[in-house]
Amino acid sequence: MRTPRSVDLLLTSRCNLRCKYCSHFSSAGDVEEDLPAGEWLAFFEELKRCSVLDVCLQGGEPFFRPDFRELVEGIIRNRMRFSILTNGTLITDEIAAFLASTSRCGSVQVSIDGSEPLTHDACRGEGNFHRAVQGLKLLQKHGVPATVRVTIHRKNVTDLEDAAKLLLEDFRLPSFSTNSASHFGLCRKNAEQVQLTAQERSVAMRVLLHLTRKYNGRIGAQAGPLAEARAWMEMEKNRRDGLAGDRSGGFLTGCGGPMTKMAVRADGIMLLCSQLPDLELGRINRDDLKEVWNDHPELNRFRRRREIPLTDFDFCRGCAYIPYCTGSCPALAYTIVQDAWHPSPDACLREFLKSGGTLPAEEELGFSTDEPTC
Amino acid sequence: MAEKSKPIANSQIVLREEFDEWAILFDPDTGEGYGLNPVSVFIWKLLDGNHSEESIYEQVKEAFEEVPENAEAHIKEFVEELTRRGLAGYEIGQV
Repeated sequence: MRTPRSVDLLLTSRCNLRCKYCSHFSSAGDVEEDLPAGEWLAFFEELKRCSVLDVCLQGGEPFFRPDFRELVEGIIRNRMRFSILTNGTLITDEIAAFLASTSRCGSVQVSIDGSEPLTHDACRGEGNFHRAVQGLKLLQKHGVPATVRVTIHRKNVTDLEDAAKLLLEDFRLPSFSTNSASHFGLCRKNAEQVQLTAQERSVAMRVLLHLTRKYNGRIGAQAGPLAEARAWMEMEKNRRDGLAGDRSGGFLTGCGGPMTKMAVRADGIMLLCSQLPDLELGRINRDDLKEVWNDHPELNRFRRRREIPLTDFDFCRGCAYIPYCTGSCPALAYTIVQDAWHPSPDACLREFLKSGGTLPAEEELGFSTDEPTC
Repeated sequence: MAEKSKPIANSQIVLREEFDEWAILFDPDTGEGYGLNPVSVFIWKLLDGNHSEESIYEQVKEAFEEVPENAEAHIKEFVEELTRRGLAGYEIGQV
């Protein structure tokens, strides 16, 4: 691929909330100054020259920027589509109408972590459940493609059934996705309060598999308990049946992101992933995007990550799951062991079982296991 | 009297080329893509309102080996397909 197909843009480092498991605050992505609009607009012209097809607007909170509309107009002028990740609380009728009018918005993902204020606001702050729900309703009112991400944590793990009912029955969303509070940003400080224990993870897996069957596959996951249940149950089945691993097993193949996309921090630093804000590749409007994409040694080294066998790692020594394991998310590996060229300890099935986790029974799976990882 | 003459690409469509010389045409308004083989990419780049289908055919013959005799008809079909999809159109000239 000559240029990235898609670019994640961390438009701002600022946010009106301080969620207890926010991956942004206290990470290297939490920078002092946001780029002025003029710098972003100049960069959008370069993205057009590189035939980038779409951008994902993130933060911080993208709607926190007072010049948000000007930036979206620049994206449209440069022939791209866009999607947005938001906490939903700053969406107004005017903003929703504007997004609808662009006809370029692929999706707006609103974070809603439960069926009621008690579970959502526990980590996101009082009053924010109602604000996020109002934001979602405004998007729906104007026909903006809206979706929801439920981040599972210790305070909402017993609310998943009601959350699914709210989102899929009451709000009639076509689907929603899940993940879990991961060891990034503020979550590292609040891990005891928010991160699931192995036992809670086991419960979440069973509940989510049940709900996925109940709602005919309308719950998705690229990370977190549902994705882990699918991947780990297949690994366990393959191990038990003595099957050979597939082509992706046994190597650090868990992330294909830098083959098609990259990211830009709020201060203009180019990154290979928004969740790896320490690994800097250059700066926009100073370094040529195409050159960085094709020639940056760290980016190319990262793309060769998939050639590294898991047998190279002490961490994996003696593990029966090696032929079926992909090493999972490099950003999680980085934040836990400070090495993105290492398997993620958080996504290790052997570690999960050692710490008291249990996998659901096979008949609980009842759905495809082939959902891609990040 | 107006007549259709020289085909021209829709300026809102993105041509995204890959390493293998294949490409996709991407319509940002719909999010839909349309795959192009290397010859189609060559033709797309000539849809600038200055080349007739006949002149495109002549350039294809110069640029590629073993161009079949019915290539001109295929080029016209291809351009018509692009037009039907809203990816290209024709400059309107006066006769």
